Amino acid sequence: MNLLTSLAIGILFAAGIYQILRRNVIRAAVGLVLLSNAVNLFLFSAGAYNGQSAAYSTAAAQISDPLPQALVLTAIVISMGGFAFVLSLLYVISTRYKTSDSDEVKGLKN
Amino acid sequence: MQDFILALPLLLLGAGTLTALAFSRSGWSASRLGWLLSLFALTSFLLILYAFTLVPSGKALTFTLPWIPSVGLDFSLYLDGLSALFALLITGIGTLVVIYAGQYFGGDASAWRFHAYTLLFMLAMLGLVLAGDLITLFLFWEGTSISSFLLIAYKFKDEAARKGAFKSLFITGGGGIAMLAGFLFVIHLSGGADFKTVLASGGFLRASPLYPVFFALIAFGAFTKSAQFPAHIWLPEAMTAPTPASAFLHSATMVKAGVYLLARLNPALGQTDLWFWTLSIVGLTTMLVGAYLGFKQNDLKPLLAYSTVSQLGVLVALIGQDTEIAFKALVISILAHALYKSALFMSAGIIDHETGTRDLRKLGGLRRQMPLMFGITGIAALSMAGLPPLFGFLAKETLLASATHPSLPPIVDSLFPLATVLAGALILAQAALAVWGVFLGKPADEKHPPHGHDPHFAFWLAPAVPAIISLLIGLTPVEPQFLVEFLADAAKAAYGDKVKISLALWTGINVPLILSIVAVTLGSLLFWQRERIRAWMTDFLPNFTTNALFDGTVSGLDTLSRTATRLQGGRLRVYLRILLLSAIVLVVLFNGIPRQISLPALTWNIEGLNGLRMFSLVMLTVSALVSVFVRRDLYAVIALGITGLGVAMWMALEPSPDVALVQLIVDILSTVILILSLSLIPRKLRDRANELLHSRRGMVRDALLAGLAGLVVAGLAFTALNTRPRESVVSPFYAENAKPLTGAKDIVGAIVVDFRGADTLMEILVFSLAGLGIYTLLHYATRKSSDRTREEPEKRLKPNTPRGVFNLPTSPMLHTLAYIMLPLAFLLGITHMMYGHDQPGDGFTAGVIISLAIAQWYMLFGYYETRRKLAWLNRNNMIAAGLTLAVLNALGGAVFGGGFFSPVDYGRMLRLPLPPGFYLTNSFLFEVSIALSVMGAATLILDNLGHPREEDLEADADLAALEEKQ
Repeated sequence: MNLLTSLAIGILFAAGIYQILRRNVIRAAVGLVLLSNAVNLFLFSAGAYNGQSAAYSTAAAQISDPLPQALVLTAIVISMGGFAFVLSLLYVISTRYKTSDSDEVKGLKN
Repeated sequence: MQDFILALPLLLLGAGTLTALAFSRSGWSASRLGWLLSLFALTSFLLILYAFTLVPSGKALTFTLPWIPSVGLDFSLYLDGLSALFALLITGIGTLVVIYAGQYFGGDASAWRFHAYTLLFMLAMLGLVLAGDLITLFLFWEGTSISSFLLIAYKFKDEAARKGAFKSLFITGGGGIAMLAGFLFVIHLSGGADFKTVLASGGFLRASPLYPVFFALIAFGAFTKSAQFPAHIWLPEAMTAPTPASAFLHSATMVKAGVYLLARLNPALGQTDLWFWTLSIVGLTTMLVGAYLGFKQNDLKPLLAYSTVSQLGVLVALIGQDTEIAFKALVISILAHALYKSALFMSAGIIDHETGTRDLRKLGGLRRQMPLMFGITGIAALSMAGLPPLFGFLAKETLLASATHPSLPPIVDSLFPLATVLAGALILAQAALAVWGVFLGKPADEKHPPHGHDPHFAFWLAPAVPAIISLLIGLTPVEPQFLVEFLADAAKAAYGDKVKISLALWTGINVPLILSIVAVTLGSLLFWQRERIRAWMTDFLPNFTTNALFDGTVSGLDTLSRTATRLQGGRLRVYLRILLLSAIVLVVLFNGIPRQISLPALTWNIEGLNGLRMFSLVMLTVSALVSVFVRRDLYAVIALGITGLGVAMWMALEPSPDVALVQLIVDILSTVILILSLSLIPRKLRDRANELLHSRRGMVRDALLAGLAGLVVAGLAFTALNTRPRESVVSPFYAENAKPLTGAKDIVGAIVVDFRGADTLMEILVFSLAGLGIYTLLHYATRKSSDRTREEPEKRLKPNTPRGVFNLPTSPMLHTLAYIMLPLAFLLGITHMMYGHDQPGDGFTAGVIISLAIAQWYMLFGYYETRRKLAWLNRNNMIAAGLTLAVLNALGGAVFGGGFFSPVDYGRMLRLPLPPGFYLTNSFLFEVSIALSVMGAATLILDNLGHPREEDLEADADLAALEEKQ
């Protein structure tokens, strides 16, 4: 299972990277979300121990590590805020440069 | 406090610089300002003279000020014989130069700049020779490089001046950096930067195996500064500086900085074979090259500059020797050269000023028009030529005595005198050339003889003083005792042992005198046949210039920086590739390729397989790949949403229900706003972007890069997963203390809201800021004209036929659903807030759930209709209320609970009748504030990304026009 999980994380990450490198900025935004998903999963794998039960103080079995969960929770929120900002940037690019090709976006002036 | 006197001259010169700047708008003439500023220099001179009388013979006066005590760095000053010799020359000649510069620029009211630079340079130069440790010395060393750059480039509109300034800065600055590296070695080895420590650890330094390294670095710095071959090329080009600067920097002071440094460090680093050979070879080569090149010049200033190069070579060669007589020659030569060369430079400036040219081919026969200048120049030139009874004669005699010293090794013992005689002859011929070409002989151009007359007193005073001193020292029948002692002190500091100085010109008929006569005869012959020899030299002999090397270095550096700049060609994807590749390389480099992974770990572990997990992994992997390969961006977005669902499912199976819940709803919200923002981008643009092609090579390269990155991440994740369980200090603490400290069953919720409450406060702040950022970006950055005012929507908006996203009509059934969903979402959200401490979900979940219901409205009714119907939804107030409540709530913890964010149960405190399972704690209030701010920010985002744009139509029109043109 570990092998499969890490492979899935790797594939998700690779897909994100590949999308980010596309000329189409919309694809790059999609890649960004894929990347943050991959990173969140990766953070989970950095947890200290496995658990059979959710992290509740009333749980009978061994609980899963709560620390990476709390961190990932924060990460999800922040990356969504960042993602929304990136989307508005996409809109700005498309109105200012009349393109969504990142190669055509050169210079920061009008 | 007595030693504070050492810092006074520096402070005084700093004050002088500021004074010059303060007079920038006064309209004072250069001459008036020069008189005023000369007082600063003169006072410094007198102060140093006074300070020197406080120094016991052979000892040093020091002044130390802690600079960066944590690294043992001090700012320190040091005055002994050697520093005093240089310091007096700098301030003495400096005083004359400031007066002279005032006369040179005359009524020019803009010359305050020159005065300011000169005083700044004097400050740096004085600091250099007074520095008490290597770091302070380096500081001032660079100061001289910079102020000299400013002086050379004074006439910055002249290209030659700029080039000369750059060349001098490049060469001396580069040498300075090498020197600093050498200093660091010395400081490290000797355990201190101050000269007392460094000079005391000479034996240890010389024995170090690193000796050749730091010797080479320091010598390089000194050689570049003192214009030694092959770095001599900057000095003649620095002659583009105004003459007062040349007289000061390039004769008496700055070029001697290297000589000073070598002399200063001689007791510590000198007296080795390497020292002897390097300094002798470089010094003697420079001496010959300088003398030879000087003889070819027609312009007075380059002629003097080359003879300076030659003299600097002599000084370097002398420091290389290990004999008492050499150091006697050194101090005498330094003084003699400074006197006659500054006089000659200043005279050259006067001649140029009065006649309008310095070209020997245009001058001649001026002795009747300028008798005074003839006298001054003549005296100084006689000293330069080394003829009795001038001081220069003594310098040359001691030099020859040193060159014929019996302790010299074979070959050198014949080459040294030979080279000295040859150079002496050439210098004599040059001195004659200068005097003859200007004052004697006939004007080279009979039809246009030069016109000029002696300047007024203040102008000729400056060159007259050093010239007359040269004459007086030679003529006095009794040796001036203070001068003898003073020079002996200076020589002793450089030599490390007592040096006997005598200033008697006549020492009987001996080898140096005979050689001197040979040199004079040879020089006279050269002068007699000057026309022929100079023509022959110009036509046939090499130039010994290393300009090609310099130009090559500079253009090589240019090419290098252009290449480096080309990497940043403005293509973000290229940057990304470089960043990614570097990250991959770094991770692999620092982690290494894991070798410990046992093969059994790699086999399929069938027992551990879990059907649902397997399903979630397949789901997220496949949908991620679909989002890559699918052509239309809308499908890619939907596939992306499915990936997020897969991730949420995996998280739920971890098991971590809180995160899974958040992931689920955030995924939906992200997909919604992604679709909303896609609808903002004109269809044509998106279609065109979908058709964007990548070259096959580019695709393969990106795929390889992505694959590599994925492999690295997979490897890291695999290692992390396989080394579980690990020790953790933090997690068990949270697990054990969640219930007793915060009353929360949900440990993750407790971490987010209580343990790391400040983190979460920052998080909602960031989220709110993202919303505000989007608002700003879309409303101000994209606005082309200010016609679109942002009125309150409810006033402007009229009932409208509901049109959803992409301007599509939506069905009434869905509308009904939306009406039902919104209150339900509120209910659900409130439940989450109330019971979030014991169950999955929290304020953030609540906020996003409500936002999702609102998003549904935006999707179904469109912007106008939603704003009209949900007019009570004021996002700004919600964000403000949420953040304020969060901060107040945290402060409430401080008031009632004993600390920022400390848990407080207000319900119990006020004995409120509350439903079972619900506690009115500050955690609950925090959840409410989180929900409020998230709702506000999310609405803000939806509002802005869901707003139909007037510009859309415009963009469509533009695009059509663009396509028409193509």
